[in-house]
Amino acid sequence: MRKEDTVKLISAEGFEFVIDKRAAMVSQTIRNMLTSPGSFAETQLGEVRFPEISTTILEKICQYFYWSLQYASGKETEFHIEPELTLELMMAANYLHT
Amino acid sequence: MEMESQLVQLCIDSACSSRESIKRWRMQRRSLERLPPQLAGALVRRLIQRHLLSPSLLEVFKYCVEEMDLRDETYVDAEWMAYLGGFRYLRCLNIAGCQRITSSAIWPLSGMSHLKELDLSRCVKFNDSGIRHLLSISTLEKLYLSETRLTAAGVSLLASLSNLSFLDLGGLPVTDQALGSLQVLSKLQYLDLWGSKVSDNGVAVLEKFPQLCHLNLAWTSVSLLPNFTSLEYLNMSNCNINSVFQYHGDKPCLVELRIAGITFANEAVIFENIEKHFLSLLDASKSPFSRFGFLSFMVGLEYLDLSSTGLGDESMEQIAIIGTNLRDLNLSNTRVSSAGVRILAGCVPNLKNLSLSHTAIDDFAICFLSMMPALKAIDLSHTSIKGFIQKEGDGSDQIFSLTTLQVQPLEKLNLESTLIEDDSLVPLAKLHGLSQLSLRNGSLTDISLHLLSSLPDLKTLSFRDIVLTNAGLNSFKPPETLEVLDIRGCWLLTVEAILSFHKRHPRVEVRHELIPALPSENDSSMHASPSRVTLKSKQVIGQTPENLHLSPAFIDQRLKYDREKLLALRYSSLSLILKDGGNISEMLLQ
Repeated sequence: MRKEDTVKLISAEGFEFVIDKRAAMVSQTIRNMLTSPGSFAETQLGEVRFPEISTTILEKICQYFYWSLQYASGKETEFHIEPELTLELMMAANYLHT
Repeated sequence: MEMESQLVQLCIDSACSSRESIKRWRMQRRSLERLPPQLAGALVRRLIQRHLLSPSLLEVFKYCVEEMDLRDETYVDAEWMAYLGGFRYLRCLNIAGCQRITSSAIWPLSGMSHLKELDLSRCVKFNDSGIRHLLSISTLEKLYLSETRLTAAGVSLLASLSNLSFLDLGGLPVTDQALGSLQVLSKLQYLDLWGSKVSDNGVAVLEKFPQLCHLNLAWTSVSLLPNFTSLEYLNMSNCNINSVFQYHGDKPCLVELRIAGITFANEAVIFENIEKHFLSLLDASKSPFSRFGFLSFMVGLEYLDLSSTGLGDESMEQIAIIGTNLRDLNLSNTRVSSAGVRILAGCVPNLKNLSLSHTAIDDFAICFLSMMPALKAIDLSHTSIKGFIQKEGDGSDQIFSLTTLQVQPLEKLNLESTLIEDDSLVPLAKLHGLSQLSLRNGSLTDISLHLLSSLPDLKTLSFRDIVLTNAGLNSFKPPETLEVLDIRGCWLLTVEAILSFHKRHPRVEVRHELIPALPSENDSSMHASPSRVTLKSKQVIGQTPENLHLSPAFIDQRLKYDREKLLALRYSSLSLILKDGGNISEMLLQ
């Protein structure tokens, strides 16, 4: 995959997730960051920092992005969420508009 | 309420899936404190819906919930209030209809610092002694107290809640004197006094509220029509209106006027003191109006209800003149005939809902309806509509009148208790967009049901009191979109036929007297609706397979036998019990 087609998401602890740009665009917030006109650092470097989101949650979010793409293309599987993650994940999802 | 994103929904689903899953997040205090109010609100709503919220769990939401709606949750009691009183940022609390709420149960709410809205309507154990607890909540802006046990003395005490802008005192014995003591509430905009003891003397007090724009005086002995400049919404239904309050200011610019069921000496009195062209809603139903000249200049009317009045074809011209903005028009139970509908045709370009039930119209009226391009819902029930028009000359030629409806974006059609027969329903089969259809007519048969299977967008079909046979139901292929099939009163059907239909089409909710409510599959996966589940029935659900439908003939064995007999039965052969419950096993199979 070419570098332009990926985006790097960085968690609070500094952990980096490199994922498909299409998947990341599931989040309205990230989509806005990456597509907004002007020279934002995010648009240029293709990386977004989330100082509020822990590694565990960001990993789950990335899984969700891919699941969501699959779901939209008609593959109906269940997305399992461990109950102990729900509160933090909910807040992250709310922030990311996903 | 904005829609939560999909992932938020999935999180809430998971968080509320069982008591076990709740245990796994409820200790995360720091996360709970940071939870944005709209997310916390959505989570709490789901917990309430699923009957998983208890007073002790309530406590974890202390810092994040701003709105709490516990309306009609009858189990809510003083213990719940004790926890809710500690909610730091609670802005809005609805405990309407919570019958266990007494005056003393409200005590923990006293002194709350952010509470702006409180709904205690229908809390039948709340009385004057509870008012004291409310008086310390100086932030209150909206207060609903209708149908509680408050007396006039208790109402007078509300005068110290100086921030009140919205006060619902419906169904309380508020007197003129009590109303007088509320005069200090200068921010009051909304006041509901239906069914109170307020009289004409009280109307003079009402004039002193400078911002009052919404006033409900229905079912009172007030006979003066208030006409203060600030008034916008006035409800005087079921009053006897004699004259107009003598007020020396500008005429009010009323937007809504509800005078259903009134009596009056002279109708001119009612309308000559308002600015007619501002009026957008007029409900004058069930009133003895016979002349309708007052409608002139009401060019802004969008909603007009003249049902059960003396309206006849001779007055239709007056409606036609002001018809441009009309969206809802109810003419049911009047003398209007097809000639009257003809006058209206072409003059009501924006009309969406029209009711002509219980009128003298015939099939010609349907032809004129096609000249009302925006019609979405038509009620033609209880009329002598046949569905066809006999052509002049020889008697063999007929035109199906319902054909003319095909040009409209029709969504709802009610043809109950008309003279329609199977043949004349044929044109209906081509109505794209029709989502709700009601038929109730002894002369219809299987053929009609068969016809309707081709309606592409039908969601609710009411097909009652019809000579429908088992074979007819059996061969019915419901449209993909169908959600509800109401076949009550189809007396030829048997339980087996209905159950087998439900089995073949589980997504359709079927209603019939012979069977208890057969919910569609979507409903049962959501668990029974929260309002219907009592604690008792929940225990039953726990013990029996989830989709067990009990027939009316089924008697709970625990009711039928006492304890000793049940113990004795324990060792008797199984077949003995099954003899009684033969139809249970049959239902278990499906």
